[in-house]
Amino acid sequence: MNVQGAIRSLLGIALTMVAVSVGLFWACATYDARTHAARSSPFARLPLFFNRHPLSVRELSVAAMRAVAQGGPGARPAATELARLGGAALPYVLPALDSLDPDSRVRVALALTPVAVRMEVASADDLVSGDQAVLFWTRFWQDRAIDFRAPAVRHLATRLAERSIALRREDLIHVDTFALPALIDALGQVKTAADVARVERLSSVLSHVTGQPSPISPDADLDTARRAADTWRDFWELHGSEYSVLDGPRRLSATFAETQYGKWLADVLRGGLGRTRAGETALSLIQHSLVTTLVLLLFGLGGGFSLAVVWTRFERRSRTLASRYASAILGTTLAAVPCATIVSLFSADRAGYASAAGLVMLTTAAWVSRHLSRSTLSAGRISPIAAGFSVSAPLGAAYPPFVLSAIVLVELAFQLPGLGAAAARALRSGDVNAWMGTSLALALATLLLREMAELVRPRLLAKPEVEAS
Amino acid sequence: MIEPLSLKKRLAVAAVAGSLLAFLAAALSPVSPAFRSYARGLEFAVLSGALIMAVAFVVAIPLGILAASGPRIFDSSLRFVCDLVSALPTVFIAAVLWAWSSRTLSYVCALGALRGLELAWLLRCEAVRLEASDHDFGPLALGSTPLLALLRQRLPASLGPVVVSASFSVAWLTALDAALTQAGLRPPTALPTWGLLLGAPSRSPLAALLAAGSVACLTVALHALFRPPALALPASDTGAPRPPL
Repeated sequence: MNVQGAIRSLLGIALTMVAVSVGLFWACATYDARTHAARSSPFARLPLFFNRHPLSVRELSVAAMRAVAQGGPGARPAATELARLGGAALPYVLPALDSLDPDSRVRVALALTPVAVRMEVASADDLVSGDQAVLFWTRFWQDRAIDFRAPAVRHLATRLAERSIALRREDLIHVDTFALPALIDALGQVKTAADVARVERLSSVLSHVTGQPSPISPDADLDTARRAADTWRDFWELHGSEYSVLDGPRRLSATFAETQYGKWLADVLRGGLGRTRAGETALSLIQHSLVTTLVLLLFGLGGGFSLAVVWTRFERRSRTLASRYASAILGTTLAAVPCATIVSLFSADRAGYASAAGLVMLTTAAWVSRHLSRSTLSAGRISPIAAGFSVSAPLGAAYPPFVLSAIVLVELAFQLPGLGAAAARALRSGDVNAWMGTSLALALATLLLREMAELVRPRLLAKPEVEAS
Repeated sequence: MIEPLSLKKRLAVAAVAGSLLAFLAAALSPVSPAFRSYARGLEFAVLSGALIMAVAFVVAIPLGILAASGPRIFDSSLRFVCDLVSALPTVFIAAVLWAWSSRTLSYVCALGALRGLELAWLLRCEAVRLEASDHDFGPLALGSTPLLALLRQRLPASLGPVVVSASFSVAWLTALDAALTQAGLRPPTALPTWGLLLGAPSRSPLAALLAAGSVACLTVALHALFRPPALALPASDTGAPRPPL
């Protein structure tokens, strides 16, 4: 294979993996939705692949303000929503206060009282009456509107990240959730003790403005600080669009980014293929499970195929009809029966890696030998290996998927910690990151094996050019 | 050269296997609920196996022919779809299909279509290989269109690997079902099948063993029934001197 061919193969694998990842994601979401299990992705409220109307803080705050202004039963949850959106909603709510009728204005101003208390710019006693609240918020916006600008807030966050001074913290608390993007950006990488101190400072403000418990305590170590930074990034991944404005290109990109698939992809791009429900990265889960699957794959592919070649030679060269039929019936039976379940029945918990590897080898050998024995390319001086490749069934198309399926069955029957068992567990529990990581690893293994088979017999798999005409 | 079984003998093997299993099911089903499950599993295996094979052939033959002899776009598309489908162990695809389809019939048909894609690729590969190895192809030399030539001569000759794979359909379905049961991905309301017995063999070991034996028996019978004449072993493989190259 030349360089051009290798690049084409790699591009083909990459394209197929993208398509496979879409299919896998759909599979997980479908399984999750249809089985009605008591679990859901935090992103379950988002569309799967395309968001026609991505919501940002502007739409959410205006909708909540209108609901509060109208009053009635919908006003209470809307007031809670306004309080949650906090400072990020103020640039859209406060300028619109004047456009409301007096009663509605009072209702909206009173709904914002928890925000004022959280921002430490007023106490609940100061805003008891509606008139007081309206007057307070009108004056507040006249005085402080200039503080609600992204560059100014980013500067404040950077300064707090550099050094702890009470005044800097207060400045950020005064703009409340409007500072969230800057605070999340300022978290940065956690590598040294100075980084730990920075995460502690920023985490304190983040916890105050979001109402979430702080994931880091004073005197935390490096790992705890790293986990705390990840926790805040997870929070931002989940709720980021609710505190940001989506304009122009950002709105366009949000049609993809604000979907379940987009969120998973963002998680993957952050490194480690995302984190599983257990807290570890999907990459480390794959690393743990890969050894078992690789060992079984080695026995299945290497041992199974070699044994199949020997088996076929024996079957073809045996002179008596009885031995030939006995071999054929034995091969068909071994390939047909899910042997792993039968062995697990008799061995109970004693079945381990050795019996698993032996079973994978035997099953694949039986299955491949059935194909080899029926090769129509058996005339002439052709070795069984060449015949095996030329049958086009075992190696090119069906062999790797068959071996991997056999491995998954054996892993499940013997409860081995392999990729197949991990993928099954993840699908059952709705752990998207674990499912995507493990199943993509299996898919990549299958595709690579198929490419390797194609490398061995390029001329037979490729459709001859003469056919195109 | 050793002659393959004649059609009559093949039919007899299949009939004996089928009768034996039916007798077993009828005799054992009153004994205990486990054996009743076995009998219902036999019904499911036979019906769904037949349906899977029928759907698979309906899907595989046109797709395989188109990919082998039609425009190259069909070949590339089939390759891409097969890559996608086979990139995962089938047990997970089956789990999702079972969750997705509300009825058993649609689940089995979907599995048949899945199987059909795999068989289509086998058919395409075998047809391409035969065409590449046989340069003085009669019908083409006489002016037949490639498609007609393929339908009349290549297709019957290319069906070998396809029927070998198709004869494993009942075994494939049972293994899938067993794996789904062991993985805990089987819908709780699904029909009692052999996969359920084999997936949790410790519940009723005898019924599980009987189911395993029955799967083997059915597969061997299907294997014998579908053994195509083109797969007869040539003299060179029986130990006789090979012809010089």
